[in-house]
Amino acid sequence: MTELTLDVRDISKRFGDGETGVLAVRDVSLAIEPGEIVLIMGPSGSGKTTLLSMMGALLRPTSGSIHLDGMPISMMSEDRLPDIRLRQIGFIFQDFNLLSALTTLENVSVVAELAGVKGRAARGRAQALLSDLGLGERLDFLPEKLSGGEKQRVAIARALVNDPPLILADEPTANLDSKIGHEIMRLLRAVAKQEGRSVVIVSHDERIRDIADRVLWLEDGALRDIVTMATDPVCGMAIERERAVSAARDGETWYFCSRGCRAEYLGGPTAEAVIEGPAGDRQAADRER
Amino acid sequence: MMGAGVLLARRNLGRDRVRLAASVGGIALALSLTLALDAIYAGVANQLTTYIERSGADVWVAQAGVRNLHMVASALPASVVDAVRAIDGVATITPILEATDTIAAGEERAVAYVIGLPAGAAAGGPWDIAEGSAQVGPGEIIVDRGFARTAGVALGGTVEVLGGQARIVGLSSGTASLVNTVAFVSFGDFRAMRGGAAVISFALVTVAPGASADGVAAAIERRVPGVTAQSRADFMAQERRIVTDMSADVIAIMSIVGFVVALAVVALTVYVATLARRRDYGVLKALGARNRVLYRVVLAQAAISVAAGLAVGLGFTASLSILVGWTDLDLQLAITASSVEKVAVFAAVIAGLAAILPIRQIGGVDPAIVFRRGAPA
Repeated sequence: MTELTLDVRDISKRFGDGETGVLAVRDVSLAIEPGEIVLIMGPSGSGKTTLLSMMGALLRPTSGSIHLDGMPISMMSEDRLPDIRLRQIGFIFQDFNLLSALTTLENVSVVAELAGVKGRAARGRAQALLSDLGLGERLDFLPEKLSGGEKQRVAIARALVNDPPLILADEPTANLDSKIGHEIMRLLRAVAKQEGRSVVIVSHDERIRDIADRVLWLEDGALRDIVTMATDPVCGMAIERERAVSAARDGETWYFCSRGCRAEYLGGPTAEAVIEGPAGDRQAADRER
Repeated sequence: MMGAGVLLARRNLGRDRVRLAASVGGIALALSLTLALDAIYAGVANQLTTYIERSGADVWVAQAGVRNLHMVASALPASVVDAVRAIDGVATITPILEATDTIAAGEERAVAYVIGLPAGAAAGGPWDIAEGSAQVGPGEIIVDRGFARTAGVALGGTVEVLGGQARIVGLSSGTASLVNTVAFVSFGDFRAMRGGAAVISFALVTVAPGASADGVAAAIERRVPGVTAQSRADFMAQERRIVTDMSADVIAIMSIVGFVVALAVVALTVYVATLARRRDYGVLKALGARNRVLYRVVLAQAAISVAAGLAVGLGFTASLSILVGWTDLDLQLAITASSVEKVAVFAAVIAGLAAILPIRQIGGVDPAIVFRRGAPA
């Protein structure tokens, strides 16, 4: 059994008491594996940010538990939480939240220094990360001199500098145009798939579905629907498993956007079996019509 | 982590240079207030003790209980001179008469230590003659060159002193201070003007090679009744204490004013700087910075501002002392190590106090501020 990066069990968050109290998150359970990308969507006021804050050890749930890499962060004393946030979690924000007085390099290295890495080593680590993200020529720039995409890449480097197993991203593409948004999504996918980190994204941006392994719908503080995403091996389209047509081959289940893709795929080596889900049938039929 | 705190403090300050300049300038002026006042009084003390220091005497013998020169009168029987001369270790002894009097020339008047000097005195005479003679005879006087210039008199001119008149035969240098000047007349004239009594004010002793001033002073006090004998250093220290005692209250008041002004300036600028970066502190908290790291940032900001203010204040006061030296003012600004030490301690306390309010503010910043929209960096 794979060890979970994040294990959220029955958490609720209530703000205020009595009749004026608001239950922002109710009985949410969620398990996230290493290398998994989970997208949480939902209308404004649905509790997404509250949920993200609790997963980020910035807010304590009223009830339920959160385990990060096996550590019960919801039970920890306030004194221990900054260290958890510093070393176990990387944050990416919609507004980037770079420190305006620091250069690109300093914005990243300062977080490593906070974790105890000495000055030169911290700068070296930050420089390597920024260079990997294509910002090698922007090290001495102040945030105000960077484009939105560059700022978000700096934020990603900052989130990664202490090598955390979990990345929490709050609307990471909201302030970016389409092209840059795609670039950031590609980066986040690489962070998860190449480095084995778990990535939780809260967003309204439908495009992020393309890179997510699972999409969760949060409404009125509760998860209403869970969609598991897959990539069509023929056309590369991101698809919801529950609504896709599928086929099993070589002991593995594959998901397709349409019967056509499945047929094309099965035209190769012989399949062991063909499974068609009812939802997949309906959707595929709709597309073919 | 110390590095991160200092880096953030430096960058936060550096990003708003106008605010930094205002802060440093305000602190510098406030601290200069104390520094300059201290320097003025130290300068006055230096000037007041110049005569003692440059008199050439190793031991000052005075009437019993008289331990300084300023605002006191000492009267010793002339026979003390022979008694002191007989003590081992005494090389020379010069009796002088001394009184604080007003000398006048034309419309100009000045308070002066008037020194009655025997002919060929081994000690107690002018040490730097700018013009004329270093020896005074009957009816003659040596005055400070600054006084003569201000009064519009020169060699050969007349000065009113001790109720009579004397002709200027020499102009001395370095014998004027903010509070008084030194004038030299002949011992005989001084004694005659005072009624001819066989008394002296002080006996100035030089000690023989190998003898210590303190040892000789102690021996004089043991063997000559009715006198107080002090080494030059002790006599100067007592003279300085007079100035310190007189100036202590004024300096204390001005120091408090400077302290409050500097504190207000630093507290306000650090508070405003912290307020302006409230979101940054929230971001740092969200990323995992502990409160104590952020407190260090604020303290470092206050400390850097105050240290820069102190440095500028010192530079300003030092420049002022040089400028004053170039003028004709009988004023000297002496910046002493103890004064700098005192102001540095002041500055450190100011930095600590100024950080209290911003630290309380940071303590209350909710790290979840990072999820609120509207302040992109």
